[in-house]
Amino acid sequence: MASLPPTTDSPIELRPASAFSVKQLTIIYNQTRVDYLVPMPMNMARMIEYIQVYDIDLENSFVAMQDEKMIALGMLGVREGRAWITRLGVLPGDRRHGLGLRMMTSLLEAAERKGIQFTMLEVIKNNTPAYKLFLKLGYRDVGNLLVLRRPPGPPRSYPAGKAAWLSRNEALTLLDSRSGLPPWTNQNASQRNAADIYGLAVTLPDGSSGCLVHQRQRFVMSRFVMQTLSGDPAAVGRELLAQLHNRFFDLDTQIENIYTDDPHLPAFYEMGYVESFARIEMHRGDAALKDAS
Amino acid sequence: MPKVLVIEDYEDNATLFERVLSSRGHTVFQAPDGETGLQMAAEHKPDLILLDLGLPDIDGQTVASQIRRMPEVASVPILVVTAWPEETARKMIEVYGCNGYLRKPIEIARLIALVDSLLATPPS
Repeated sequence: MASLPPTTDSPIELRPASAFSVKQLTIIYNQTRVDYLVPMPMNMARMIEYIQVYDIDLENSFVAMQDEKMIALGMLGVREGRAWITRLGVLPGDRRHGLGLRMMTSLLEAAERKGIQFTMLEVIKNNTPAYKLFLKLGYRDVGNLLVLRRPPGPPRSYPAGKAAWLSRNEALTLLDSRSGLPPWTNQNASQRNAADIYGLAVTLPDGSSGCLVHQRQRFVMSRFVMQTLSGDPAAVGRELLAQLHNRFFDLDTQIENIYTDDPHLPAFYEMGYVESFARIEMHRGDAALKDAS
Repeated sequence: MPKVLVIEDYEDNATLFERVLSSRGHTVFQAPDGETGLQMAAEHKPDLILLDLGLPDIDGQTVASQIRRMPEVASVPILVVTAWPEETARKMIEVYGCNGYLRKPIEIARLIALVDSLLATPPS
């Protein structure tokens, strides 16, 4: 897209997002994404959920204003020892004049004021301007992520093992054994903050076993955290998905941010999942925390 | 007169669809989000659904999958509206049982051709 002239020379002021209503934040978020390949618009209910589930610190998130008009948004998620840059966007007519860099600098400074040096983010693959900006600010690639979809329908192969269907509390307990630092959206805190979380544990005839924590709502299942406790992850994953789609065959499914090297990934493909789009996960600084909490 | 349900949150595109389709004699119903779209599909039983994949409540794939499960409209052609790359758009319309896709930004001639073609196709 050709570079557009700035709409005005008036000064740009960054104000805390907490000074704006959810409706205003939703409007500016949607406006900044309108020309994206994957715009992912939100309504107010989804914005409220997003802020709550991902621990968005509105005092340390910013809206850029020019002539009393909102022209950019950037949000900061804050958890122990780490922060997350998200929902960063500038109105199409106000891009390429350094506002993205200014928003990012302000968000990083806000994180540092809270004593946080380590920040995470994801950028949609092929969003080259944003990716270059993040590299310039010292971010490095740490993984490739996929968003997968599967329409409703029975599984391609039927369950072979035993299943135990778990309540929210039982499901959340399964997260305690996770290691590593997953993407922000999939961290244990995100699961704990989310509604409608359930669990499934399976044991295969050969004794291998695993579990799946997930969100199950009216039309869609999402927020998958899949773990193999013993055995081959692809086989355990296949059994978990077979059990799930056999029971909830009428639900659409969305998998957000699964690593391309996740050993369960072959099971998703075997069960009819298709790639929707890809992201690159990036980190800046060193994570003090090495678990998924 | 063919009835077309447009499920599109972006006002500029919704207005464009309304203008173009009305001028060709279609009755147009507008839904700004997925939930409203599902209700209006059941209520108006359209002959064609134009569906934006990026919606603010439930996304277009989920809307398509629900429409395919509603007996009264399950076979209505769905024309997807998306900015996605061609390969992804093709894959999504195939797995979600949609009938065609229209790339953003909207080309009016392409819109008319696809709508005419899908309205001429008998329900499967």
